[in-house]
Order: sequence, then C-alpha cells, then structure tokens
Amino acid sequence: MKKSYGIATILVTAVMVLGILGIAGAPNTTQAQTSGPIIIKVGTPTALSGPAGPWGQIGVAPIQAWVELFNKEGFKVGNKTYNFQVINVDDKNTPEGGAAAAKKLIYEDKVKFIISHWTWNFPSVSAVANQAKVIYLCRTGNEAVPGGVYDPKKQPYTVFANPSHEQFISDIFAIAEAFPNYKRIGINDSTLGKGIGWDYVDRELDKAKIRYHHEWYAPGTQDFTPYITRYNEAGCDIIYGAGDVMAAMLITKQRWEMGFKTWRTGTAGTLLDPMMYIGVSGLEASQGFIAQYFANWDFKKTKVNPKYIKECQEAMAMISKQQGKPYLYTGWIGWGPHHLQILAQAMQRAGTVDNPDAIMKAIRGGTFDTAIGKFTFSGAKTYGSPIVFGTPGCLSQIKGDKEVYLSEHPLTSLP
Amino acid sequence: MPPAGIWIDGLIQSCIYMTMAFGMVLVFSILGILNWAHGQFYMFGAIIVYYTVTAGGIPFPISILISGLLMAVLGISVKKLVIDRVKGDLYVGVVTISLIFFFEGAASILFGMQDRGLSMLLPGVMNLGSFSISYQKVAVLIFTLVVMVAMYIVLNRTKVGRAIRATAQQPDAASLYGVSVERLSLTVMGIGCGLAAMAGSIMAPVYSINPFMGRIPMIMALLAIVIGGIGSLTGAIVGGIILGFLNSVIAYYLSYFSEVVLFLLVIFILLVRPQGLFGASLK
Amino acid sequence: MMPFMDYKNVVPKIVIGLLVFLIFLVPVITTNVATLSMLILSGIWAIAVMGFTLVLRTGQFSLGQAAFMAIGGYTSAILTVKLSLPFWPSFFLAGMVSGIVASLVGMVVLRVGNIYFSIITLALSEIVRIIGQQWEPVTRGTRGLITSPPPPIVLGGFEINFAASQVPYFYFTVCLVAITGLVFWKIGDSRMGRSFAGIALNPVLAEHQGIHLMKYRVIAFTVAGVFTGFAGSLYAHFLTVITPFMFGLWESIQIMIMSIVGGISSLAGGPIIGAILLYTLGDYLTRLETYGIQPFLFGGAVMLVLIFLPKGTGLVDLWGRFWTKVVWREKEFEFDEVEE
Repeated sequence: MKKSYGIATILVTAVMVLGILGIAGAPNTTQAQTSGPIIIKVGTPTALSGPAGPWGQIGVAPIQAWVELFNKEGFKVGNKTYNFQVINVDDKNTPEGGAAAAKKLIYEDKVKFIISHWTWNFPSVSAVANQAKVIYLCRTGNEAVPGGVYDPKKQPYTVFANPSHEQFISDIFAIAEAFPNYKRIGINDSTLGKGIGWDYVDRELDKAKIRYHHEWYAPGTQDFTPYITRYNEAGCDIIYGAGDVMAAMLITKQRWEMGFKTWRTGTAGTLLDPMMYIGVSGLEASQGFIAQYFANWDFKKTKVNPKYIKECQEAMAMISKQQGKPYLYTGWIGWGPHHLQILAQAMQRAGTVDNPDAIMKAIRGGTFDTAIGKFTFSGAKTYGSPIVFGTPGCLSQIKGDKEVYLSEHPLTSLP
Repeated sequence: MPPAGIWIDGLIQSCIYMTMAFGMVLVFSILGILNWAHGQFYMFGAIIVYYTVTAGGIPFPISILISGLLMAVLGISVKKLVIDRVKGDLYVGVVTISLIFFFEGAASILFGMQDRGLSMLLPGVMNLGSFSISYQKVAVLIFTLVVMVAMYIVLNRTKVGRAIRATAQQPDAASLYGVSVERLSLTVMGIGCGLAAMAGSIMAPVYSINPFMGRIPMIMALLAIVIGGIGSLTGAIVGGIILGFLNSVIAYYLSYFSEVVLFLLVIFILLVRPQGLFGASLK
Repeated sequence: MMPFMDYKNVVPKIVIGLLVFLIFLVPVITTNVATLSMLILSGIWAIAVMGFTLVLRTGQFSLGQAAFMAIGGYTSAILTVKLSLPFWPSFFLAGMVSGIVASLVGMVVLRVGNIYFSIITLALSEIVRIIGQQWEPVTRGTRGLITSPPPPIVLGGFEINFAASQVPYFYFTVCLVAITGLVFWKIGDSRMGRSFAGIALNPVLAEHQGIHLMKYRVIAFTVAGVFTGFAGSLYAHFLTVITPFMFGLWESIQIMIMSIVGGISSLAGGPIIGAILLYTLGDYLTRLETYGIQPFLFGGAVMLVLIFLPKGTGLVDLWGRFWTKVVWREKEFEFDEVEE
C-alpha cells in the first residue's frame, strides 16, 4: 500500500505537468522569414474526434496536398508573393470545442482566416472570429438561414462560401430532373438537424411543386423498419437523407430487405468510398445510391478552369500514392480549395492581406473563379448581405463498385 | 394495428436487448457491480468477427465463438487487473465508465472510425407473405434461442450454474459450501462479457460496425433491466422483450418521440415500482 | 523551527494562500486568450462538480447535474434574449429557477434508493435536452439561443467590459467559484453538513437518530441546483450560445468523473482540482494527432489514478499526504487492512 503513494504522487505530478503544458500552450513555431513567399496562416476547426470524426478526418490530407500544389505558384498581392498554411484543430463537434478551437487558432496559432467550417458550431465559432475580426468562411446551416442567428451587423466577417440548405434544395431539383416520373421524395434527418432551416427548404420545394415527405429519427437510430414503413404508407419511392451516413446506409439496406427494391436512396453528402456503402448495405441494395459529387472533371453544366481541375486531380493522386490505395472522396474539393481561392482573389482585389474590412468589401457581391466553378456572391435580400456563394449542385450514383455522374442542378445566385 | 413487419422487427430488437440485459444482470448479481463498459464488449465482438471473417476467412459460426472466447478472456483480465484493484462500488462504477472511453479510443486507433459492414454474410431474405425478414435477422433469432437454452442448461443443470445461483442468493452460505466466490466472479465476468461479444458478433452483419456502436445497446440493456427488475435474470429477459416491442411499435406511431416515451416510462417505473417486474425490493 | 507556532498546520495554508494569490495574477502573467478561456471553462465546470459532490455527501449519486446547467443557462438566455431583461437579474433568476426545479424534482425523486436515483437523474439529463429541442417557441429548438455578454460595469472612471476581453470573465468565474466553494465548505462544516455525512454512511441509523433524511437530501440537492444554475448561466453568456446538446448524459458523466478523481472528501478543493486537472488534460489531448487517442488516454489516465490512489481518496487527499509524508517526513497513521 505504501508503494502506491509514491506511484500516485508521480502520476499526479505527471497529470499536472501535462495540464500545465496545456496551459502554457503548444510552442509557437514561427519560421524565420529570410526570403521566399510570405506565409498566410488559415485555420480550420474540424470534427476530428467522436462519431463525426471520419468526415472531418478524411478531408485533412487532400487539402494539405492541394495547398502544397497551390503554393508552388502561390498568389501575388502588390509585388509580394504569398503562400497558404492550413492548420487543423479538433473542435469535438460541440459549441464549447468549436470556441476553444477557434481561440487556439486565432490567438495561439495566429491565423488570419478561418475556412471550411461545418456550421454545427456556427454560433460559437462565429462569435470568436467576428470579435477578433478574423474573416470566417463556412457553410450555412440551421443557425445561419434566414431567421437564424446570422446577423450581418453583428457578424460582418462571416461568409457563406457553401450554401448547405440551398444546395440541398438544388439536390432535390437535380433528383426530380433525373427521375421525372418519381412519386414522392422521402426526406430524413436526425432530430439534431430539426429547425427553421427545414421551413426554408419546404417553402422552396413547395414553390417548385416538389412532392416530398419528412421523417425525423433520434440520433444513433439503427433500426429504420418503422420509418421505412411510414415512408411506404406515405407513397415515397426515393429517399434522400440529410442526416448521418450510417442512417442512409442502413435505410438503403433495410428497404431492400423489406422488399422495396425499386426505391432509390441517397444522402446529402459526398461518398467517402463506394466500398463502404457496398459493405454495409450490400452490393445490390446500394446500386444507384445517390450522393453529392464534387468531381469537377465530371461537371457537365458548370464550367471549371482546367488548371483547377488538374490541381485537384493531382492532389488526389498524391494522397492515393501516400495511402497505397485509390483515394476517392471528392467532398474536400467542395470547400477547402475553393475557400482558399476566394481568399486569394479577394486579397488581390483589395490590394492588401492585412485589412479584413477591405477584404470583406472585395468578397461581398464579388465574382470568383474557383475549383467548383465561377459564381457571384449573392443573397443580399435573403441574408441581409451578398455573402452566399453558389454551388454546382452535382449528384453521383453508385454503379457497380464505382461512383458515376448522375445529375446536376447548379445554384448560381440567391435573391 | 401496426403491420406484421413492425412486430417482427420488435422481436429482433428484443433478442438483442434481452441478451445484453441478461449478461449485465448476471455480472451484477454475482459481482454486485454494473459493468458500464458492457456495450464496448459488444462492439469488440463485432470488430473481431469482422476481421476473422474478412481477413481470416473463418466461417461465421466459429468466428462468433472465437469472439466470445476472446472477450471472455478480456473481461476476466479487466476484472483482475482493473476492477479488483479499485475499492468501493462508487469507484468501480467510475472505472468501468472510464473503460468506455479507453476501449472506444483503442478501437478507433486500431479499427478506424469509419463504418464498415458485413452485408455479404448470410445475404438474402425469407419471404413470409406480407413481410420479409433477412437471413441475418433469422440468425439473430436462432442465436438468441440457442443462447437462452444454453444459459438455462448451464444455470440449472451444471455444477457451475448451481454455484452461480447459490452465490447470487447467499454469497456467504455458498462459500461455506466450498464455492470459491473469487473464482466464480471471474467465471461469471467471462460469461457476461462473452455473451455481450457474441451478441455484437451476430448483429455485426445486420447494422454497421464502428467503435461507438456499443453505446446505445448498453443504454437499452439498462432500460430493459429497469423494466424487468435489477438483479433478476427472468426480469432481464422479460424486460428485453417488452422494451423491444415497445420501441418498434412506438417508433412506428410517433417516430422520434419513442426516445421520450421510453425515458418517461423508465422514470415512471422507478418512482412507482422501482424493483421492476421481478426484482427484489432493494432499500 | 519556531517551537511556539503550529507550523505544520500553518505552512500548507500559506502555500494555498500563495496559490490563490497567483490565480488572481494569471491574467497578468499570461494574456493568452485560449489559456484564459480554458481556465474559465474549468472553473465553470468546477462549480457543477461541487454540486455533484455535495449531493454525493448525502448518499445520492446524481447523474443529472448537467441538466441544471442547462436549466440555468436556458433561463438566463430566455430572459435576456426573449424578455430583454438585463443580465444580472437574469443570472440571479437562473440560479433560483434551477434551484426551484431541483427542489421540486428532489422531493419526488430523492426518496428512491441509490441506483434507481442515478438512473432517474440520468434520464433527467436527457429529458431536459429533449425539452430544449422540442419547445421551439421558447428555446428555438436545435438552433439554440444566442446570448450576449454581460453589459459593461462602470466603477468610478474604470470600465469592466465583458465584450472586449476574457479577463472580466476570468475574475467573475474566480469569484463565483470562490463564493460557491465558501458556501459549500461552510455547509459541510455546519451541523447540517456533518449530519449529511452521517446520512451517507448509515441512512437507517441517521433516521433513527432523528435526522430527517429527505429534508437534508432535498436541501443539498436544491443548493447544488442553485449554484449549478449560476454556472450554467455564466457558461451560456461566456460562449454566447446555448443549444440543447451542450448538456446531456455524457456531460453529467464528465462531471461525475471530475468529482471522484478530484476527491469526494473535500467539498471545494476536491472538485476544483478534479475539474481543472481533467479539463486541462482533455484540452491538451486535443492537440495530439493520432485519431482516437484522446478518449484512449483520457480513459486510461482516469483508470490509473483510480487504481493507484488508496481507497476512498481522490487527488485532493494527496495534498495532505504530500505534506505529511514528503515534507515533514512523518509516519502516517494507517488503518489496518481488513480482509474482505
């Protein structure tokens, strides 16, 4: 027993030392800049732990690879050349974690911008970024749609570089165009996503006379038999989910087992790897599974600068080589590169890298040419400020064991 | 009246809740502690089967037995190395909760956090008129029946089983009769964890496999135990059945509200009849 | 050594005094916003942990303390945002509402035994979350509410501006933690507090001696609820957002872990140490790059601490042992190990 006091003391000291190291903060590695491009640090609070972890983790490597390629040329403002450095910090997918990640990035790592953030923690990250006058590029979500918490006066440095809700609406239009004889589209989401965002979506779908039916499930649900039964009773034949991927895969599997083999299923998210879906749902059941698709080389209705297409493909090839198997996820193209390209072009137009107000002025209402197409920031009427970018609205489907193009309904501007 | 498919679905859910609850109650009645990490043994069971089937090519039934054995060994190790070193029910509870994080972290590092599936195992469905049931789910039914029969035989017809029942009722008297409570605790821990692992294995093809898949089955097992009565093996079975059917039927009518209803039901039971259906009255 | 002063008693207390003084100087020593933010949040959770420990003193194991943070947070958020009440009355009311809910719930629920109480409080955390999600007109559902920082306080010519920096929050948190700690310590030391301990050890005997079991349990539960409500309100106004998912079952579990690891023998010191150490450990772990290593190391650290600490003690008890064994080199009085 006496031995344990000694061990306990050592353990406690270790814990305290670790804690103090945490308090002191990670050592700041500032490079001595002698010559060469000036580095602009950009931060990304990402969900790297917890159940949402895989979706944050998978985008980290290709964006770093793309930044490497981008930095070969860099971008010029005035007569100086600049490079980007992207820093990822785990935000645990909670508001507390998001605020902590944002504070670390801004005050310890000294980033100038925050990009490609999911809006699950929008309020807390946005509060931190706007207070520090750090321009914050993110995606819309429940909090950010009209009637949500975005307030152009309180959050002048927020930019919606991906319009998630509007993209979902585009997806539904693309589905209706791909399957003109559909009976009814079943939409599902976990109760985590319930909110006024859906009222906004419903209004737009009603305007376009789309037939749909909503279902909500508790997060973590694995048994969708009751929900599929309800979809059947509502007359749905396409089920497109806005919730988690596990739900989409299980609905795909279970509807097949329940005999509804003619139904199509899908999820509003990019495919991590077709084999994952095939593994969980079954090869036959997952044929025709619909997902969002950011493979800019396959876009038919949106034109993308061939140079950007090449950069993205090269980045993916680099990661494929690194991990020893083909890297197939295209989602990262939808935010990382195009957020950075917007920033680079905005800084060039503003003629400065240090003045957030001037850079925001260049972004608001400006037209930018990025890896997902050329769009003009809009949304002055809907959001109170023209800070919403467009989206190619492209969908894919699983054919065999591959992901192929299905349909496209670009969103070019918002009122 | 919900369609037949809902009732069958409820039956399958019952099987899993029942098996998990049974394992937890077995451990509780001999060791006096609730193993909060019970769900993580379920998760490891699924992961082991994934590797033995895909990488090892070992047939499914044998894989299930292997995972049961391996996790029984892990459970016994956990008991000896961790639980026995921590004194006090309170502290043992906290230690098993920290095991949840420890095991999930280990699984995340080794297996990765992405979902994987075993849909190619026992593919196909059995058509029974107005509804169909996948062979994977039929396997769950058969598994549960086998396990319950096996448990009945072990508990009622073998020496070990008699020792378990004796110790559950009167540990001191049992040790007077020569039962090594210490050894028996290890055996029971092994059986309980092995059961959880095998439940995870048989369910692996039905849903998907990821490091966090054990959380909800553990909570459901807890609810089943509350309904059936803490400390009662029959209660675990009956509680599992009731919970399984309730969950499916309520979800059919009220979709996500089933969550709320189940929690309220549990609170109501705990206030009005805390010992559940079959439990002994605790102070 | 001075023979006429009980230096063994005084010196540790002087050291503690120095540490407390240092705490007040932290914002001067480091202006790192991320660090201050982390300390502020650990302080807030420390208050919730103190509440848990107080309830544990009466023999009840509450897995629902996070629910009271939610109630406090939502109360002050709703009052400031929807009813436009100023911050300080809302803050006060947050604690009061939380306390009232605690006493009402406590009166109904505290009469059931140990494990049942724990499961009910566990369900309570989830129910509060579900109410937050569903009661759209009031809580705005999953979107949550956006709160504002407390308004600036003007003292003479000097303005304390919460919106401009974290430092005012830091001192506010330190004050709240100190007040809570003092109140709880006093309660623990009082006659009522010492009967709590009696209730925990032997409820039947305590009842026979005339201590009204339920009354004391409800009082403890209510007081814990009040202060946890204050903590929740501060939390909501610090992060300027409150959503239903911030306080659920797993947050209640974190509170419990912090309490047990910190040490339940002390009502103020134990929770504070447990909260600060575990919170900073968790924060430090987010810097590690291997995916999945955070919960692995966190769970492992808690297990190791529990295995190697002697029975019934937490980290705070090591303070006393450090002085007796390491500094004064005394032989500790040890209880004989009783064979189980």
